[in-house]
Order: sequence, then structure tokens, then C-alpha cells
Amino acid sequence: MNSSTSVESSFLHRLAKHITASGKWAAIRNQSQKDLNMSSFPHKKIEEWRFTDLRPITRTEFVPFDEAGVFPATDIEQYFIPESDRSRLVFINGNYHEKYSSIGGLGKGVTVGNLSDFEEHDSVSEYLNKLVNYDNDVFVHFNGLNFVDGAFIHLEKDAKAEAPIQVLNLYTDAKEPFISTPRLLVVAEEESDVTIIEDHIGLAGNTYLTIPVCEVKAKQGAHIHHVRIQRDSLSALHVSRPIAYVEKNSEYHSYTINLGAKLARNEPRVVQEDEEVDFTLDGLVLIDGEQVADTHSVMDHRFSHGESHQLHKVVVNGSAHSIFNGKIFVRKDAQKIDSFQENRNLLLSNDGLVNTKPQLEIFADDVLCSHGATIGQLDPEEVFYLQSRGMTEEKAKEVLTYAFALETIENMKVESVHKLLIEEVYRYTKANTVAKVTA
Amino acid sequence: MLEIKNLHAVVEGEDIEILKGVNLKVNKGEIHAIMGPNGSGKSTLAKVAAGHPEYEVTGGDILYDGESILELDPDERAHAGIFLAFQYPVEVPGVTNTTLLRESYNTIAASRGREELDPLEFDDYISDKLELVQMKRDFLDRSVNTGFSGGEKKRNEIFQMAVLQPKLSLLDETDSGLDIDALKIVSDGINKLHGDDDAVILITHYQRLLNYIEPDFVHVMIGGKIVKSGDKTLALKLEEQGYDWLEAHATVNGEAG
Amino acid sequence: MSETKALESMIGEEYKYGFTTDVEYEDFPKGINEDVVRLISEKKNEPEWMTEFRLKAYRNWTEMEEPSWFNATYEKPKFDTLQYYSAPKNKPKLNSLDEVDPNIRETYEKLGIPLEEQKMLAGVAVDAVFDSVSIFTTFKEKLAEAGVIFCSISEAIQDHPELVKKYMGSVVPARDNFYAALNSAVFSDGSFCYVPKDTICPMELSTYFRINNMNSGQFERTLIIAEENSHVSYLEGCTAPMYDEHQLHAAVVELIALDNAEIKYSTIQNWYSGDEDGKGGIYNFVTKRGACRGKNSKISWTQLETGSAVTLKYPSVILQGDNSVGEFFSVAVTNKRQQADTGTKMIHLGKNTKSTIISKGISAGKSDNSYRGQVKISKKADNARNYSQCDSMLIGQTCGAHTFPYIESANPTGKIEHEATTSRVGEDQIFYLQQRGISEDDAISLIVNGFCKEVLKELPMEFAVEANKLLSIKLEGSVG
Repeated sequence: MNSSTSVESSFLHRLAKHITASGKWAAIRNQSQKDLNMSSFPHKKIEEWRFTDLRPITRTEFVPFDEAGVFPATDIEQYFIPESDRSRLVFINGNYHEKYSSIGGLGKGVTVGNLSDFEEHDSVSEYLNKLVNYDNDVFVHFNGLNFVDGAFIHLEKDAKAEAPIQVLNLYTDAKEPFISTPRLLVVAEEESDVTIIEDHIGLAGNTYLTIPVCEVKAKQGAHIHHVRIQRDSLSALHVSRPIAYVEKNSEYHSYTINLGAKLARNEPRVVQEDEEVDFTLDGLVLIDGEQVADTHSVMDHRFSHGESHQLHKVVVNGSAHSIFNGKIFVRKDAQKIDSFQENRNLLLSNDGLVNTKPQLEIFADDVLCSHGATIGQLDPEEVFYLQSRGMTEEKAKEVLTYAFALETIENMKVESVHKLLIEEVYRYTKANTVAKVTA
Repeated sequence: MLEIKNLHAVVEGEDIEILKGVNLKVNKGEIHAIMGPNGSGKSTLAKVAAGHPEYEVTGGDILYDGESILELDPDERAHAGIFLAFQYPVEVPGVTNTTLLRESYNTIAASRGREELDPLEFDDYISDKLELVQMKRDFLDRSVNTGFSGGEKKRNEIFQMAVLQPKLSLLDETDSGLDIDALKIVSDGINKLHGDDDAVILITHYQRLLNYIEPDFVHVMIGGKIVKSGDKTLALKLEEQGYDWLEAHATVNGEAG
Repeated sequence: MSETKALESMIGEEYKYGFTTDVEYEDFPKGINEDVVRLISEKKNEPEWMTEFRLKAYRNWTEMEEPSWFNATYEKPKFDTLQYYSAPKNKPKLNSLDEVDPNIRETYEKLGIPLEEQKMLAGVAVDAVFDSVSIFTTFKEKLAEAGVIFCSISEAIQDHPELVKKYMGSVVPARDNFYAALNSAVFSDGSFCYVPKDTICPMELSTYFRINNMNSGQFERTLIIAEENSHVSYLEGCTAPMYDEHQLHAAVVELIALDNAEIKYSTIQNWYSGDEDGKGGIYNFVTKRGACRGKNSKISWTQLETGSAVTLKYPSVILQGDNSVGEFFSVAVTNKRQQADTGTKMIHLGKNTKSTIISKGISAGKSDNSYRGQVKISKKADNARNYSQCDSMLIGQTCGAHTFPYIESANPTGKIEHEATTSRVGEDQIFYLQQRGISEDDAISLIVNGFCKEVLKELPMEFAVEANKLLSIKLEGSVG
């Protein structure tokens, strides 16, 4: 509220002073610096952060990137997906690596590359840092001040990307904890079509904080399929801000898979900019040990005739903690909105914790909005049924957990990604054979 | 009883004309069937006759017992004895079948100067009607159409018709979505309810309903007009030959029957 | 849209309880400080421990901040100009109904509340609270025969100090929240009920609250204790005159259910809600909480909330005893510029505890209606179950409906299910009912009543009629 006077300095504010200008993005840097000065680091007394323990971040001694002593990345080819053989952008700790990237296979009208090579591009000047809208958010402003490279995807009118585009963000081992600020800008002009696989992978077990900011603009009739896989190191801290604006007749379907990180805070938002849109904001969270996964999403319906879906599935084991707040807004005059949100939580362990707050805020009367939320264990009847068909209890639980998680990844369009995620789910359920549950 | 004269109607607020000059005359004791392909305006005709607010009459008239009913609200038309069995019966959560029917029966009774029934008398009265459509008693305590199967919804419409005893029944695709057993039950019900003092208009897609309910007249509606009228043999011809042979006819000559 | 108009006009029915009663009041200073708190206690001849209770609460309150986390905006009450105690003058101790100020008696008659003992048929014991002072309690003797104590809280402090001492503040501690602290410091009266072991209270108990004095706040305090194997059903009703100024109502209700005991608490809240422009009306900031202390105990809240300019109210149940049950059934109707932020908390601590929440919100006019609920299954609450259903209905395009459910589970054997929907009175539904001969107004009334049915059926029989009447006032037309 009266933030201009009461801004408390945080480690982000201190580290911001060490950032040296690269000569790029002067306007964005200036604005971000100003905004950062106006913004405080969040704390538990703010409603939006009330369940999230931020100490894993605040207690880490982050150092400026140059002083972190980062090791080079090795063996990274294993993370390339075959479908994106000629449509891949690779960033290591936020820096673009041309030698691992490959961008020849996308066909006519599709521009893909490092943002800093496109500073003069019309879409970049029009949209970069303009779409991101998270109020006084220190993370966004720090990213705006710190980023140099980033992924840029542009589709001309009617252009269809011939292959899915993989945006691979790798984080390497380092002597000291560092901060990375990846950036992604997607501008899909009228009637274009693209599939994006955004992947975040920690190559070692070290601590780092990554703050990906992603801006998406789907113009009239554009179709975007956006998969976001978070496989950060289990000591990593991940705070992401992906926001999409959808115009008339466009479709935006986003699927976020949260597997890694010690603390992950993900805040996907979709803003409806005109009538007749269709969007999805699905999520799958599989956590164990001391992991915390926090999703705060917003689906903002501002015009009539919109359809939106959200399926957010969570499996919690060990002492892990899941937090979900899914806001559905239907603004005044946004009639004939059909919005459905479902949050299913499977709590497998005695020490796990689930907080969920589905939230409907409706200001129009001719709408069909609903949400459902459940927290529970596997249905004992189903376990019994499978046991009666000869499975051990452990096996039955494993199978059911696997099936529970699988639903959210059914819509993966890219085959290798689908396969990869099935393997991840399988690995999780296998490792967590639920034996830890006291029946 | 019912006379529709050169009726034109559009969807409220839009320019597209759906009824383009319909003429139809129905007398007491008669059963009429209106057939036609999808989008020909059959269901619209039924809704307009019942006074659905979605449609606007732009020309012509509907006379009922000699007087125009165009200015009447839907409930006033119901009081006058017009009953529409909906193609898609609407769900009304929380309102039980009994509540709806008693409310409905008593307002109609009051408007016709008949005696209203108290809950006990009403209970007796509807018990008989339940048998007509072979529905169980617990059906009365369920919310109107909520969670009903397609077949149950259709049977519920006929049950309501039995309770309310209308003079003119417009049955909009009451046969669609029914299996053969349910179709028999529903047709039996309709046949039993029909007498010399009332009239029935069946709107249907298929000839099969007419195996169970014998119409006195069959009309074919295409492109918002009745293009051909005849007796039940017309329905059989349609079953064999489809509508193609009439479609050409429709563009040349809208006047028929 | 015609159906919207019709419904709006129905809901917009004028408030019928807006009259003022002409009575003389005792003089009492405005504003609040320790002296005022002492003076209230003195006026009521309270024992030392009670005065201390108040002073401690007052000191807590001065250190607390007025909350602002809810979904409502309004002008904050002016605590330093408010009058914290308001009692009609001629009110020492009343022995019979004849001694009640005739103006006040007339008021209750106008409200249709039977104060007279001869209205035995009503079969309801009534405690009437007028501007925070209990005026008269009916059927005292009959209840005493059964061992049930039903009296004003002031009398209870005098006559049953051991019970009040033991239980007051045990469910809602004085420092629980800003308004509870204020109430604990300045509460003037309220109802007290004690149902002894193995007793089923022979009749419905009920309290009618009436705010009359324009400048006074109403701070009543209710305490209900159900001993082992006992059962009691209690209902409160609330009305107030129409003033241009807002009036503050900050009550505290505490319920305690011991082993196998059951308390059913129903509210029909119809405080004045202010006019079209949001002028006047009651601020209804109430803390209601029940503790299922005993095994197999049950507390059930039912509320029909139709009045008040701003309502912040979350009747809650703390499920401590194993196998205990908490229920919350609510219909909240808002219209004009009303703002309601209401819901419940179900805190599961004991094993095999169960809770059910059914909430129906109807918003019309320029109002905002929010459901805010918390369901928490703590680590030790094995096999706890919760089911919540929160439905909203919007009428017109200038109102808002909001759902804020906070759901937490720390026990893998617990199970929580929450569902929420938003819908409207559909044109197709109205046409369908009209086609069956029912007028548009009645059709809407039927649909709205159908929407609320699951909740209305939870009200005690004796009050079902009254509830229907109230909904009819708000939603005119016949109810089946």
C-alpha cells in the first residue's frame, strides 16, 4: 500500500547494486530499477504469501553471478528432445549458447532466437516487459534489471511452426549460490500456431535461485501449446512468472509439471483480451522430502464467451508441502463464461501438508463457473479392488498413484515429452511406493 | 381450436427469419403430426405458440378458440390450456416435481374457475397419473428433471400433461432419445389422454412414433413453411423417399394444405 | 432482462421493521476508556472478577488493530463517539411482564414475537434483548423444572458465577480478535443457557435482539453450555430501526458441547441493511464459535442472513472430542449496497471428526456476497472428514459473488471435498415454469427457494414459517 515509504531492503535490492549494465535494454533496466526501489520482499503477513515459508530463500547467501564460481555444463545433449532437433534454444544459467542451439527447422514466418539479438524487432519493443504484470513484485523487477539474454519466439500471420520449439534452461553446479533470470517472449500473430516446450533442469544438486519471466501474446485465432517442465535441483529455489494474453478466437493451453526445487513458487496468469477464447492452465505437482511447491494462478475473464479449464493435481509425500490458490475472475459484462477448475490433492504421508484455496470472484450473472477441491488419500475401495485382483497393497497403491498423476499429462502433443513425463511420473510413484504410509 | 395464419417469426434481436409464413388449422379431437428435416422450424413453431421470449412474431397471427394469443404471457397461454412438452426439458434444482405440479395445477384450476386441491387431495389425484407413464412414487420427490435420464425427462413431460389436462398439446420431439419400450409407454399415455375435446400436435423427426399414435393429418415443414399436407400415408412416403422430393417443391410453392 | 427486473423489484421490498420505539434512556458517557469499562461493570453490579475480565479485554483491545482482510469496504466505526452502554430507563428487575415498558412490549408485538406467557402454543422460550439489555425472559419456571437455566447473561453473572467464570472466554478468548476484545470489554447483556447432564431441553429457546437507540452500539454476549448427554436448540432473531447513520453490532457467542451433547443454533438475521445508496444500516461484526469438547458431541449452525449493511461473520466449530460433528448451513442474501463476507471454520482436532458445510449465497442489486471458509484437518485428526458445498446465484450484472475457501490437511487419512458453483436464474427455467402456468414472479420465487432448500430445512420447525416469511419479504411472492 504505502510502499513508497516503507520499502524494506532485501538481498535482491543489495544484489541489484552489483549488476553491471550490459549496454542492452536500457529502458527496461531503468524502469525495473525504479520499480524495484518501490517494492518490498514479500512476507507471510501478505495474504498471497501466508502459507509459504520463504526462509529457504531469505536464509541463503546469494552472491553476484560473477563471484559464484560456476562450473561448465557437461553432457547436456541427453536433454534434447528429438522433435526439436532443429528448433532448440539453449540457455545455461540464463545465458544463450548458440553452439548447443539449433533454429533452422521452423519453416516460413517463424522467428526464433536470443532476445538480445532482436532488440530492434517490432514485437520486442512492443511487448517485452510490457505484458508482465505482477504489481510490485521484486522478483519480476529483479529479472528486468538483470536479464540480458532470453528466448524470443515470433510467428507471423498464418505461420505454423513445423516443429515444437524447445527452450532449454540449464543450471550448472557452482561454489556459491547464484541467481538466474531467464526470459521468454512469445508473440503469435493472427492465425499462427506453435508448440513450446520450456524446460528447466538443474545439472547438479546445488542451490540457486531462478526467476523465469515469460510473456505470451496470442493474437486473433492463434493457437499456443505451452509445456513447462520444472526439473530444478532439489536445493534450488524457483520463482516463475508466466503470463499470457489471449485475443479473439485464440487458444492458449499451458501445462506445468513441477518435479524439482526445494521451494517453487509458480504464478501462471491468463488474461482474456477479447471474446471467444479457450484456455487451459493445468498443473501436475509431484513432491517429496522437504520440498515446497506453491502455485498461485489467475484466470482473468474480461470479455464474454470464454471457456477455460484448470486441472491442478498434486501428490505430496515425506514432509513436503503443497500450496494452491487458483483464482477465477469473471469481470462485469463478461457473460457466457464457462470456467471449470479442479484441484485434486493426494496426501500420502503423515508429515506432509496441503493448503488449497480455490477462489471464484464473479461479477457477471450469465456464467457457468465451478470449482472443486479435494484432499485425501487413495480410495481404500480402489486399493482393495486391485488387491482382490492379485496385486500387493504396495503395488495397488503405486498403480493408483501413477494413474492419478497421469491424467494431467494426457494432453501432451509432443510424443517424446509425453514419454518423458510418463517416465518421471513412474519414477516418482515407484520411489514413493507409498510404503511410508501407515495404513 | 387453433388457427395459425401466415405466421412469421425471427429470433429476438436478430434478422434471420425462421418462420416464413406458416398456415395451420387444428380442430378439436384431431391429432396432427408435423415432420421435417433439421432446422426446418418445427420446434420454433411450437415455442412461438407457447410464447417463448426468445422469438419475436413479425407477421401473421395465432388464433386460439378464435382469439389472438400473441399478446399473452406464457403462463396465461398455459392457463388457457396450451401445453408444450419440451424437446429438452429444463432442470430446476431444488424444486420437486410435486411442488411444481401442485403449484401449476392450482393456478390453472383457479384461472379456469375450478376448485384447487389441497396437498392430500392432490396426492391422490396424481397417484393415478403416475401409473399412466409407469413411474415410481419417489419420482415425485425428486427435483424437476434434475439428474433425470433422457427417457425419464420425456416421460416426465407426458406425466405433467396427464396432470394438467391441457386442451392443446404441442409435443416437441417427445419420441427422440427413447428406446422402444419407453416409446410404447409414452405413446400409450398420449393415446389414453387424447379425447374428443382436445387436440394434439406431434412434432417429430421419425415416422416410427406414428406407428403408435395415429395422426389424422401429417404436415411437412421445410424452410420455415408447411410445404405439403396429407394423411398418414404421407409419413410413410417420407420414410421411403426422404425429403428431397419436397425440397424443390418448397422453393416453388410454399402454399400447401 | 425482464426476469432480472422482476426479481430485483421483489428483493427490493421495503424493510418492515424500520420503526423506532420511543423510550427514555439512562445517561451514559460516549467514547471508551478504562473508566467507561468500570462504569459499565458498576452499573451492572458485577463482581470483581468480571470487572477484571473486562479491563483485561479492554487493554488487549487497545493494542489490537482493526482488521481489513475481508472483502468489504466501509467507513470505520468511530469508536470514540460511540455509546457503549444503552439501557431503557425504567429497568431495575422485572418480576412480571406487566412491568415491561409498554412501548417496548409494543415493539415486540409489532415484530410478531410472543413475549406473553399465555402464548403457550408457540412453545418457545424467549429472551428479549433491547439495545443490549435483556428485557424479559419467558418460560423461566417451566425450564427450571427441567433443570435448564435460561436467563440473561447479567443474571447469570450474579446467580451462577461459577459457570460463567468457568466457560466465558474459554471458546472465544478476549484477545481472539479486535471485535471480540471490544465485546469482552463492554458487553452489556445477552443470553445464558445451561443444560444439565442427561437433559433434553423441553422447548426451543430463542432470543430476539433489537437495536433501537441511534448512537449506541450493541454488544451482546451469549453463552450456551450443554452438559453430557444433553440437547438444546436455540434461535436468535435480529431487527433494527432505519437510521441514516451506521450502527455497530459486535456480539460474541460461545457454545460448549460436552460428551454426547448436541447444540443446534439458528439465526434469522434481519438487521436494517441501509438504503439504495448504502446510507445507514448495521455493521454486523460477530464472533460465533462452538467447541465440541466432548466425545460424540455435535454443534450445528444454521443461519439465514438477509440484513445488515456489512456482515462479517464466521460461525465456527472446533472439533476437539473424538467422533464429534460440526455443521454449518447458511443462506446469505444481499441486495442494494449490502456487503456480506460470511462463512465458517471447521477445525478438526479429534479423531473421526466430521463436518459439513452447505452455503448458498444470493447476490442482487449492487451488493457483494462472499463465502469465506476454513477447513483444517490437523495432524492428529485421523479419519476426519469434511464435505463443503458453496453455491452462488447472481441476479443482475452489478453485483458480485466470491468464494474464498481455505482448505488444509496435515493428515493422510483425512478427507476433504469442496465444491463450488455459480449460476443464475435462467431464462429457460422461467419459461419452463411459466409454460406450466406459473407466473414469472412465482417462478423466480420457486427457483430461489429451491436453491436454498437444503439450508432452510435445517431451521427448527417453529421458525421455518418465519424464515419463509422473511425470504418472501426479500423475495416476495408465494412459497410452496
